Amino acid sequence: MVTVKIENLSYSYKDSATSVLHDISLSFSSGERVAIIGQNGTGKTTLTKHLNGILTPDTGRVLIDNVNVENKTTAEWASKVGYVFQNPNDQLFLDTVKKELVFGPSHLGIPKKEIQKRIRFVSELVGMQEELAEHPLNLTDSEKKFCAIGAVLAMDPNVVIMDEPTGGQDKSGKYRLAKILEYLKTQQKICIVVSHDMRFVTENFDRIVVMANGHILLDGAPKEVFSNPQVLKEAFVTPPPITDLAQKLGWETTILSISEFIEELKKRVQ
Amino acid sequence: MTDNWVRRLNPKTKLLMIPVFGIATIVSPGMLLGLFLLLVVIVMAWQANIIKKFLQTMISFGIPIAVMLFIIQGLYSPQNHTYVANLGFAKLGLEGLMYGGKLLVTLLVFMGSFYLFNKTIYSGELAAALIKSSLSDKGGYLILASLNVVPQMKRQLQVIKEAQEARGVQTGGSLLTRIKVFIPLMGPVILSSLIDTQERGMALELRGFDLKNVSKTSYIQVVDTKLDKLFRIGMLLFLIIVTAFSIYLKVRR
Repeated sequence: MVTVKIENLSYSYKDSATSVLHDISLSFSSGERVAIIGQNGTGKTTLTKHLNGILTPDTGRVLIDNVNVENKTTAEWASKVGYVFQNPNDQLFLDTVKKELVFGPSHLGIPKKEIQKRIRFVSELVGMQEELAEHPLNLTDSEKKFCAIGAVLAMDPNVVIMDEPTGGQDKSGKYRLAKILEYLKTQQKICIVVSHDMRFVTENFDRIVVMANGHILLDGAPKEVFSNPQVLKEAFVTPPPITDLAQKLGWETTILSISEFIEELKKRVQ
Repeated sequence: MTDNWVRRLNPKTKLLMIPVFGIATIVSPGMLLGLFLLLVVIVMAWQANIIKKFLQTMISFGIPIAVMLFIIQGLYSPQNHTYVANLGFAKLGLEGLMYGGKLLVTLLVFMGSFYLFNKTIYSGELAAALIKSSLSDKGGYLILASLNVVPQMKRQLQVIKEAQEARGVQTGGSLLTRIKVFIPLMGPVILSSLIDTQERGMALELRGFDLKNVSKTSYIQVVDTKLDKLFRIGMLLFLIIVTAFSIYLKVRR
């Protein structure tokens, strides 16, 4: 079991006067898959960087299992909070995929046998079992992302943060990502993902947090969130096309998928 | 950047200042002229509103160098004949001290004028100014790229440091741990700057950078005032006079 609590967090970057995050309070608990959405520059990444102490809040605090994040270094949090950066090139530096996967757990002092086991499992989960001997630079951008995700999952953290994992992914990449999210849920992990892919978000997350200008505008299940077209407009978030269509048709029920749409249509025709 | 006359000077004028001031300090006998030129640079830094950082850099560089030069030259220079103090194990010689002082002033003049140049120009303007005075486009790009690469690598290093910390690499702490993490940090920095360079090169090509037989224009307007030209001619004349006078003094002796 793990809990993450953000209490009245405010933050502004040193070199600019304008603050990025204003009085944010959120809490997450085991098994939750949370998507943070919103326009570029609203503070999504800045917020997630507070969860493992890369950034420290100006005011307010972040508690993980009731321990203030500021009390330990980012490196010490790494075993508990895994963070997948937006650009895998910043994260990968070894000469084979396998070494990347081994790096984290061996730093944590995990026994060799256990590491072997984890690598076998994780490489299959992220679809890298054929590429273990490859140089990460030879991978495609999408593969690099999965390699970076694998490197984080191999450390078995209780909180997994991913910054834009959906960017540049094709259908099979997104399918794999959905599988990973599903697995993390069964393991009772907290998974926090920053994404711009609304369809992916509605299909794979239990909870969506909508941010605009450093504030939280909406927070709830996908159905709740997307039933507020007015607020979403304010955040410059466009709902998935099928949801948009149902809303334009004036249906009161919020539709999130094609099958839901068909069902509702059938009901209305009868 | 605040606007003031030092910043408004043509980049070429400030660029010329570095060799002129430096060489004049070297060729002039004694260090009086050097000290005067150093004062000029300091006044310019003050006028350009960068005096605090300027002095910080100069002092943090100057003091250790001064200590080193004065000890080595003052105590062990073969030119030493006049002794100002006896430390027991060695005697402090005036000639060595003077020579050490001259070296220090020369270094500070070079460094100070370069610092002033670097902090008061907009690098795009420098490249534009040099291309205007018959430097090739490629040469201009080379200068621009090398001036930009340091801050860019610094930013990149910060991002990568964060990414590695998030993977459990302690980047702070004792010297040994710092050295140990240096390699995983440097790998991605160098690689990504190589990739960046390659991509920027291709992007430039795609935007017609290397087109032949067209007369190219520049978006950046570089002002070269009469005053700038006057300054440059003045500086060159100054250098010639200082050199001639120094030679004359040497010959007469």
